[in-house]
Amino acid sequence: MSWTLLDKCCEKCTHSLDNPCPDYIECRVNGPLCHSDKKCKELRKKRLEEIQYGAVGAKIKIPLSSCTLASGAENIYEAVKDYVEKNGLKISISISGCFGLDFLDPWIEFTSKGMPTAIYANVKPKDIPRLIKEYFEEHDVSSAYVLKNKTGKAKGEDKVPLLDELDVWKKQYRWVSRNCGIVNPESLEEYIATGGYRGLSRSLKMSPEQVIDEILKSGLRGRGGAGFPTGIKWRITREQKVTPKYVVANADEGDPGAFMNRLLAESDPFRIIEGLTIAGYAIGANQGYIFVRAEKPLMASRLQKAVEEARKYGLLGKNILGSGFDFDIEVILSAGAFVCGEETALLAAIEGRRAWPRQRPPYPAQKGLWGKPTAINNVETLAHVATIMAEGAEAFASVGTEKTKGTKMFCVTGSVKRPGVYEVPVGTSIRYLVEELAGGAVEGSAIKAVQIGGPSGGCIPASKLDLPLDYETLQSAGAIMGSGGIVVINDKNCMVDVAKFFLTFTSAESCGKCFPCRVGLKILWDILDKITRGQGTEEDLVVLRHVANTVKYASLCALGGTAPNPVLSTLRYFMDEYEAHIKDKTCPAKVCKALITYTINEDKCIACGQCAANCPVNAISKQESGKYSIDVDKCIRCGTCYVVCPVGAVEKHSRGRRRSGGEMKW
Amino acid sequence: MVNVKLDGVEVEVEPGTTVLEAAKKAGIEIPHLCTLKDLYNGASCRLCLVKTTRGKLVPACAYQVYRDEEFTVNSLELKRIRKVNFELLLSFHKIECWKCERKGDCLLASLSQELGVEGIPVCSQCPLPPEECLLTKGILCLGMITSSGCDAECITSGGQCWGCRGPITRRDVLERAFKRYEELGFNIDDVLFRAEIFWNSVPAFEKLKKVAAEVRGGKK
Amino acid sequence: MSIKPRSKEPKTPLEENNMFRGLKRAPHNLIEALRRVQARYGYLPPEGIKQAAEYVGVPFSQAYSVATFYHQYSLEPVGKYRILVCMGTACHLRGNDLNFEFLRMLLGLKEGQKTTKDGLFSLEVARCFGCCGLAPVVVIEKPDGTRQIIGNANARVLRAAIIKYRRQEAGGNE
Repeated sequence: MSWTLLDKCCEKCTHSLDNPCPDYIECRVNGPLCHSDKKCKELRKKRLEEIQYGAVGAKIKIPLSSCTLASGAENIYEAVKDYVEKNGLKISISISGCFGLDFLDPWIEFTSKGMPTAIYANVKPKDIPRLIKEYFEEHDVSSAYVLKNKTGKAKGEDKVPLLDELDVWKKQYRWVSRNCGIVNPESLEEYIATGGYRGLSRSLKMSPEQVIDEILKSGLRGRGGAGFPTGIKWRITREQKVTPKYVVANADEGDPGAFMNRLLAESDPFRIIEGLTIAGYAIGANQGYIFVRAEKPLMASRLQKAVEEARKYGLLGKNILGSGFDFDIEVILSAGAFVCGEETALLAAIEGRRAWPRQRPPYPAQKGLWGKPTAINNVETLAHVATIMAEGAEAFASVGTEKTKGTKMFCVTGSVKRPGVYEVPVGTSIRYLVEELAGGAVEGSAIKAVQIGGPSGGCIPASKLDLPLDYETLQSAGAIMGSGGIVVINDKNCMVDVAKFFLTFTSAESCGKCFPCRVGLKILWDILDKITRGQGTEEDLVVLRHVANTVKYASLCALGGTAPNPVLSTLRYFMDEYEAHIKDKTCPAKVCKALITYTINEDKCIACGQCAANCPVNAISKQESGKYSIDVDKCIRCGTCYVVCPVGAVEKHSRGRRRSGGEMKW
Repeated sequence: MVNVKLDGVEVEVEPGTTVLEAAKKAGIEIPHLCTLKDLYNGASCRLCLVKTTRGKLVPACAYQVYRDEEFTVNSLELKRIRKVNFELLLSFHKIECWKCERKGDCLLASLSQELGVEGIPVCSQCPLPPEECLLTKGILCLGMITSSGCDAECITSGGQCWGCRGPITRRDVLERAFKRYEELGFNIDDVLFRAEIFWNSVPAFEKLKKVAAEVRGGKK
Repeated sequence: MSIKPRSKEPKTPLEENNMFRGLKRAPHNLIEALRRVQARYGYLPPEGIKQAAEYVGVPFSQAYSVATFYHQYSLEPVGKYRILVCMGTACHLRGNDLNFEFLRMLLGLKEGQKTTKDGLFSLEVARCFGCCGLAPVVVIEKPDGTRQIIGNANARVLRAAIIKYRRQEAGGNE
């Protein structure tokens, strides 16, 4: 392996794993500090440049994270590698994380000395040879999506906007996600070169109490959902007399529609490791655990690699940076259970038991892992910790609201033009996120509601989009901040169906320990199912509300306590849709299967036969006129024809009031 | 020692005592099902919820008291939550009290009376063991389809039930009851005839008749 | 016709060591031990659960309670290709339930049936993969442990993927 920043510059450097230097981090980037030698300084400077432009002055960066892989980045990677090798080009290939701008995927970044850094969006493998030729041979950037800087030396620079001028970029406040999509997530060297581990080396020179004070001063609150002040949690854990103590990073991001933790861990894993190490130092723990969700194996392997890398360079292990503080981290992969996001359930899972939550108090800070004091923090919180310790509490506290400081990453998905992860100061309005950053509703639809906080959150109607995103406001509006997933629901979605969807999820994920949640959610689901089948009665709404309230107040843990939120919030804001299902037996959005029929509009039909070929029950046949039609009795309303029809000739209709359906079965 | 105030009643206990134990000491009953000393205290049944002064609901069986604290043990709100909660539990219980060994001292039956949840038949109060059931001797008794809770002489002395307390409305219980009547060789028409004496103007009787007709129809 | 004994040959200690290599014998490693058993057999057979329980030193009952709790574990054999249809919010709103129905019909599975008769595919509902920006998402876990993530899935791409794997298998057997 070639020389890296992390290695000695010459024999004068006294740093070694057995005798670590407290100024190691600063020295690697701005060094050497212990001796002045121009040559050594030059060496380090040159290496920093190499990191940016590659060892040969030209570099191609391909993002490899779950979201880009889903859109085919692996094929792009193969194509680039093939082309570069075949043609013997002198270009280094490196990987990176993801920007969080999912509408660009898969993207690719070209850098070369003297040329502007160009990002190409929505690339296909067959475009690769053309793009490489254009950029590296013809010095033409006109087909790039965006440029990172301008040099005036490349063709077509004026036609392409700068990244910093792009709405989705400049309107964000990228604080904790600053490295996402920029650095190579598997390289500790790059992390340190971009300012990493400064937080830890500063913390280790302070006393643990001072670190806690700094975090308290920043006003950081847990980003996992409940918003408990991190500093206070640490102080309580530190004050416990029992040893050993543990710190746990909760990377079990289970909310459907939220993936900021995955993005952070896949794109910038060292920041989380650093944050966890600082947490361990502050509370006096020597062992940390990172508990990763089973559905996100890439996240686990990136974190695992980062831990090993940090261990190799003495940033984990014994006597970290000469401070006398020992700390190690174990990455644990879950086996899949939503309830693991609940902290006491997560502890049970780490101990190798069923993930059953238990009654609090005692809180984990008093009695946690194996009965010892344990501080559990969300991944995003820990990333914030690392950044705060590097930049200082004031910089962090300069944005946000009075009660909640700093920034928060939000995932905006659903029917918006530009789904992705956006980081904004806490207290930003929902409208800003959904419209300014995510680009508003997709063509031909209108926003009806936004669902905030995953299955535990609530639906907020479009009329309330100006609400600021902070813990207290959202709670009073019937939703929760949760992990920060925002799903935009448009007028083609049925709110009763949405509520039913969330209950399908939570009732399946209920751990079954306490019965308000186990039985109550099942009953709520039954009632909603009845309503979507057009068999609901007015009485059902009363029962719905009663049971929902009981589940909310009587359940043991937060899963049950928040699971009725989607029902309660839709009952609060979308009563008209419930009434339409019950009184008129129609589904206004034409979603609920039992209340719609499909027909084919003969005027639009082009007789391509796609619908008939794809119909699973052969309910579609050719008419004498050559057009197709659907046999309503055979049709199971699966909607396949509606999806495959290239001209939109398949239409949905409300069934209207159903004829006598007989007594419904309870 | 710490002072615990439960609905105004003060009691002095060791720190670390649960609210449930404190209540026992103070002579206050808190309904509970799942907690068994030294065996299980997972706070699963949620029937023993009490309210703290901060408005939080906590299970009395698992909440330990370390300082002077005050709790609301009985209030309309708590009662309503307990009731719905218990209904949820009962909704998944296969009620067949006439066959049940424990019918004399069933916690579910006594709780259902205490919380006013209906759906449990008179059989739960019948002093006769299942094998001596009057029905097995050919004596027509309406206990299986009548709501429990009347404590009248006819029941407590082991006589037959005439159904004066009104019919059960829970469908699955009725279905099982009518099947049982048929099994023991009773004519459902006779049962309904007897039931009509008290129930002819009760709205739930119509529903009951429908279930009876279905059970009979299903047999043919 | 000779009748072969149905039970598998007992696992030698060496094999067990291979399976759990590098894993500390501590109760908290039960989840990881079970995962390795599943990777080895494709599902969790009773003897596999027993092995894991013995290795980490917990009673069989606890290992079984864990095996039945988490939904990544399967107690019955699964297909060679595991098709996971994401049922996250964004995927649901963008019609992944239609994709699920489509796949079910395409594979000829009855309602509630999980694995095809030839044991090639099994179809399951999964929790969010965190690729909500590309909803609806379907993930196909291949026998070699890698996974193909299909973003913006629709009937056409899914059919193409299934046909591709079917062809690969047919070609591989000949």
